[in-house]
Amino acid sequence: MYQALLTRRYLTSKVMPLLASLAVVLCTAMVLITWSVMGGFLKNLTEAGRSLIGDVRISWPNIGFAHYDDLIARLEADPLVAAAAPLIETFGMLTLPDNKTVGVLIRGVEGDSFSEVTNYADALWWKPLDKPLPKDKTRADPRLSDSLGPRLQQIFEDGLALAEPDPQTGQLEPAMVLGMEVGAWNYRAEWGGYLPWKHAVPQADGDVVTLDTFVPRDASLALRVVPLDSQGRPMEVVTRVLPVANEFESGLYDIDRQTVLVNLDALQRMLRMQAAKRLAEPTSSDPGEFFDEERPEPELVEEPARVTSVLVRQADPNAPARILQERCREIYAEFAATHPGEVPGAYAVNIETWEDANRMMIEAVKKETGLVLVIFTFISFTAVFLVFAIFWAMISEKTKDIGVLRALGASRLGVAWVWLRYGLAIGVVGATFGGLLAWGIVTNINEIHEGIAATGRWLGETLTDGPWNWYIWDPRVYVFKEIPHQIEPWKAAFVLVGGLVSCVLGALVPASRAARMHPVKALRFE
Amino acid sequence: MTTLTAATPATRPAGAGPIVRVRDLHKTYRLGRVDVPVLHGVNLDLAPGEWVAILGASGSGKSTLLHLIGGLDRSDKPRNGRPRARIEFEGRDVASYSARELDRYRTGSVGFVFQFYHLLPELSVLDNVLLGPMIRHGRFGYLARRAGLRARARDLLGAFGLADRLRHRPAELSGGERQRVAIARALMNDPALLLADEPTGNLDRKTGGRILDVLAAVRAERGQTMLMVTHDPEIAARADRVVHLVDGRVVEQPPTAPPPGE
Repeated sequence: MYQALLTRRYLTSKVMPLLASLAVVLCTAMVLITWSVMGGFLKNLTEAGRSLIGDVRISWPNIGFAHYDDLIARLEADPLVAAAAPLIETFGMLTLPDNKTVGVLIRGVEGDSFSEVTNYADALWWKPLDKPLPKDKTRADPRLSDSLGPRLQQIFEDGLALAEPDPQTGQLEPAMVLGMEVGAWNYRAEWGGYLPWKHAVPQADGDVVTLDTFVPRDASLALRVVPLDSQGRPMEVVTRVLPVANEFESGLYDIDRQTVLVNLDALQRMLRMQAAKRLAEPTSSDPGEFFDEERPEPELVEEPARVTSVLVRQADPNAPARILQERCREIYAEFAATHPGEVPGAYAVNIETWEDANRMMIEAVKKETGLVLVIFTFISFTAVFLVFAIFWAMISEKTKDIGVLRALGASRLGVAWVWLRYGLAIGVVGATFGGLLAWGIVTNINEIHEGIAATGRWLGETLTDGPWNWYIWDPRVYVFKEIPHQIEPWKAAFVLVGGLVSCVLGALVPASRAARMHPVKALRFE
Repeated sequence: MTTLTAATPATRPAGAGPIVRVRDLHKTYRLGRVDVPVLHGVNLDLAPGEWVAILGASGSGKSTLLHLIGGLDRSDKPRNGRPRARIEFEGRDVASYSARELDRYRTGSVGFVFQFYHLLPELSVLDNVLLGPMIRHGRFGYLARRAGLRARARDLLGAFGLADRLRHRPAELSGGERQRVAIARALMNDPALLLADEPTGNLDRKTGGRILDVLAAVRAERGQTMLMVTHDPEIAARADRVVHLVDGRVVEQPPTAPPPGE
């Protein structure tokens, strides 16, 4: 009882414990804010990484595998699977409107099935918008334009179908969709959206031609790929000019910078992976078995279309992808047994989750998050030493009080508990207010960020010639349009308990010193 | 001064023997590498309800004797063939108490009054007085008796003329008032033995006299045994019996004053 009374009185009548509480407030808030922002960053990044590959990918690179329709049908019959889609992945060259040629990762997809398995529709950039992006205060985003609305809607639908009508015939022609950063034609504004550049291209005769680089409007670009034969040997380069139907933003710069989505049928034809009748050469283990006059005519065989991957989306978006991965293995084993010799064996094919596919990126961000947290936790550990130093000083100051308590019959444990309880009280106050401060900052972090940037602009314009850029989290640098943040209850609880434990740890040694004080020496202390 | 409200009968029943019995008490302090003997085989008996003053010069071991009897310190272990020191309280050797029993002894059987009051500056007068019962009864025991204990503390402080000072902090009180609060604190748990270490040593003569009046009233009305340490013969004269402590030994007769001019 007396411990509660003394804790209350010491806490409200001294400045030093309030300073210790303030230190705990700041340390707790700092760790929680860092963890929330980095956690949000990691979450956004992983979601972005998941957005265009589904939950599980079954792949046999380069030459691909046949009968994928059968595999997709088997997969979609399973209750764990929501949808499956075919995909071809290869590398190629893309010639841009300014005649630069860049290396790209080409993904051949069917618009409909790809949308069912991934967030493709959300990733398509050019589409009509009802409301501006959070930071687009001046409504500078061209997608908000009412006059462009019908055209943008058409561009969006073309992008979804990966096809657009031929201007002459009106027939749908296969098209491609570029990552937003592939041509570096789109200028990323400070509010997080894109504005098309107008490129000034110097000509050989000294003239300068201005190119309108809003590519989905009328650009057609040349795509070059190298098909492989059934043995994986490269064949002649195939070039095809395809119109650009739209552009996409996945949220991952690397993907947006180097990925081109192409109509699956078109890419299959370019890579010689479409269904076709082919001449099959007779084979024999004995090279002298056939003489020219005896050599049989090559047989015309039906060869089914091939893809390099099948993407699978699980029915329960919150279920661990590992469960679906295991199920896909079983389904693929049945599929391989049905088509012996025509598709890769169950143990050869690569079946990976979206986490496996993005492991390098996710692990890197996890490591960064961990590293930042460790650094901040170490910094926060100063609170332990602060509490320790303050308590040590207070116990020296209160030595006589300790002697009096012992003279009145307080036990050693009782005296120790006065100080441990006091540390706990400082921890409770510090962690509670630290948690509230962190919650207030994290939930309003974008507004605070905007306020800081606005202050920088105003100060710059007032004191110097131009605005100062005080954007810490510049959307032009980071792919996300807003500062990501996510307070998870368990993380908050962990940090708050950590703050509490830190205070008790800091109080532990001083409390033990107080408990071990000799009552007579304490009473005689000057 | 109003009459004190005693929780126990005004006169404690006198037992067959002394309430406190001290035998062969030795105490040596160690200062660096040097042993400084303070008490050299003190023998002392306190009868129940008796007021005994220990008179001695500064450094004679008066306070040490008080601390040992009050269970704040331990006597020397027997050595060099010396008999084991004994401090018996109501027939039981305090040295045999466990740490827990010693805590209970200090909170229930002994009340300390110090020269410098030793009130806790952050607590109000009332809270300072209630500190003893809080320690003695623990959280739940105290809460169960809270109303009664607070009423008793108010009565006690009222009896000492401090009824209008209950919410004051010690810093807002005079020296005499502080010492009266300290006496009230010592009496709250109604101890059988009151140990007062120079209770008037920090007060002027007039205020000190009033404090002695309070102590005398306490003893008269509550029947407590009181051991008071002082170096002032006039103050010691208020006690029933005066014991002289000279160089750590109890002497029957006071030391004679040195001849003039020596």
